Amino acid sequence: MARIEEEKGSLLQFAPFQSAVDEGFWHRLSSLKLNKLGIDDSPLPITGFYAPCSHSQVSNHLTLLTDSLPADDNEQSVTPALGHGNRNRCSVPGIIYNTNTLEAYHAVDKKSLLKEEAKKIWEDILSGKAVEDSSVLSRFFLISFADLKKWSFHYWFAFPALVLDPPAKLVELKPAAQWFTSEEAESVSAACNEWRNSSLTSDVPFFLVIITSDAHATVRHLKDWEACQGDGQKVLFGFYDPCHLPNNPGWPLRNFLALICLRWNLQKFNFFCYRENRGFADLALSLVGEALVTVPQGWRDCQYVPNAVGWERNRGRSISRNVDLAKSMDPTRLAISAA
Amino acid sequence: MVLSQRLHEAFKGTVERITGPRTVSAFKEKGVLSVSEFVIAGDNLVAKCPTWSWESGEPSKRKPYLPADKQLLITRNVPCLRRAASVEEEYEAAGGEILLDTEESEGWLATHGKPKETKSDEDENLPSMEALDINEQNCIQSIPSYFKSEEEEDIPDMADYEDPDNLVETDPATLQSTYLVAHEPDDDNILRTRTYDVSITYDKYYQTPRVWLTGYDESRMLLQPELVLEDVSQDHARKTVTIEDHPHLPGKHASVHPCRHGAVMKKIIDVLMSRGVEPEVDKYLFLFLKFVASVIPTIEYDYTMDFDLGSSSR
Repeated sequence: MARIEEEKGSLLQFAPFQSAVDEGFWHRLSSLKLNKLGIDDSPLPITGFYAPCSHSQVSNHLTLLTDSLPADDNEQSVTPALGHGNRNRCSVPGIIYNTNTLEAYHAVDKKSLLKEEAKKIWEDILSGKAVEDSSVLSRFFLISFADLKKWSFHYWFAFPALVLDPPAKLVELKPAAQWFTSEEAESVSAACNEWRNSSLTSDVPFFLVIITSDAHATVRHLKDWEACQGDGQKVLFGFYDPCHLPNNPGWPLRNFLALICLRWNLQKFNFFCYRENRGFADLALSLVGEALVTVPQGWRDCQYVPNAVGWERNRGRSISRNVDLAKSMDPTRLAISAA
Repeated sequence: MVLSQRLHEAFKGTVERITGPRTVSAFKEKGVLSVSEFVIAGDNLVAKCPTWSWESGEPSKRKPYLPADKQLLITRNVPCLRRAASVEEEYEAAGGEILLDTEESEGWLATHGKPKETKSDEDENLPSMEALDINEQNCIQSIPSYFKSEEEEDIPDMADYEDPDNLVETDPATLQSTYLVAHEPDDDNILRTRTYDVSITYDKYYQTPRVWLTGYDESRMLLQPELVLEDVSQDHARKTVTIEDHPHLPGKHASVHPCRHGAVMKKIIDVLMSRGVEPEVDKYLFLFLKFVASVIPTIEYDYTMDFDLGSSSR
């Protein structure tokens, strides 16, 4: 028993991303479908939003809002580009595959679709695009069927994650407040708060934490990795962690690991799961871990695409979700409730 | 919807259309806010409590008197670990502080259990203004009648959606079946964690902020507004919380009716001033949210104020 425990402990396990769809998203999808798209069922680019975990007891979600979809009129809205700089809405690129019938929805080849989407992440890692715009590492998609006669929406999210084989091992994982010295912790908090408060960086979810030998911390862009080497500096790979669990990092770290081991040829490194409390860095909730990654066989072949997982589970089961919005969309019911 | 409520809404809508927004400050005199004061107070809330942000809402519902990118304030995914009703019962049983909801003591706390006379007076102390009379009975009726078609609906059988391909992802690195929500304090295996999106809008008629609640269950599925009432202090669930169209978002949402907000805020401001604290208008929303916390005691939104309320201290 003890040995099993030990083995389990050394395997790095990630808490899956969870989806949340605002009612407004379905309203806009319906109006797009009726007024603009018609029977056109080609994939539609959308924007999902997430933020670091901000409470010790609940995880944050990948959220779809009204603004996740383009407006159906061609009028340019007055709003600035997609909440850029809004710290509570870090944009993540996604795609919605909305089918025209329930049959087509059930007939979607989920395995190959996941593989196709994972390939985009893989290519962005190889090309270096993921270093420039790290949000592509958390790329997601969903399949859906909008039953506009019944105001009922079937949908299923996937958060593609490249599978490391053999899986990454965890050397240690502890609250960041314990991993850093108190001096370092103070400096890391200040640097992270500054990163989060600047409209230029507040929605950049992957970053580097550099700590000099005199315990001074700075947060830098991934593309500055080369410049941050040497001089006995500690470098940690940080990301906005939507997960609140004390013993597991959240899902965005998965593709980040793939990037780190492939791009910078690292096999052993420290990662930093950045979490907040009431909107400010909370190092007791944040985690620092040391991961051990072996570049899987085949990853150096140019034609290779790794396996991927990531279909969202609903209460632990592989099932589709359904939301019924007849109450807020059915004109008859609205008329009755207004009478 | 109840007729008196409908009539009042029509009246309120007309008044809002024909009167301009408040421009003169009456913050100290009446406890109300002008539009620009609402924006100032909102900016300060966003700066001090960064879990709140300004949003523009539905473009079609945009209010011309507010900046396009500052139509409403919102904080998402706010945990609500317990039902207000059950907390209150325990608290009251323990003889703790409870909200005194009488004319004389609006929004303030009694520290020695619930006084008997408050209970018996309840009907006389309804939050009514001339034009509005949401009484206990009406409210109780209005909610079920809005949702009465609930039973007709088939609750979708989960098995119907079981994936035919038998999509099994065996991956040792995926954390399995751990609740990704709060650890439950009770051992009866009923998950009680809900999350809320809490938004604040400007109510032009009452010239005060107004709070709206959108609830989600533990798997982040939309909660029926009637279930939201379980998270409202039981005194208010029967009186001041109504379910209405959101002024900036789609759908019906539960809202703390603003008819008495001005009066309550005025009382709070008076108490502060009697203590020699000069309240500042940019702190309005902190005071307001503190007061709203008595209505929704278990929804843990942020209104932390680690600085003083007024100018006298600075």
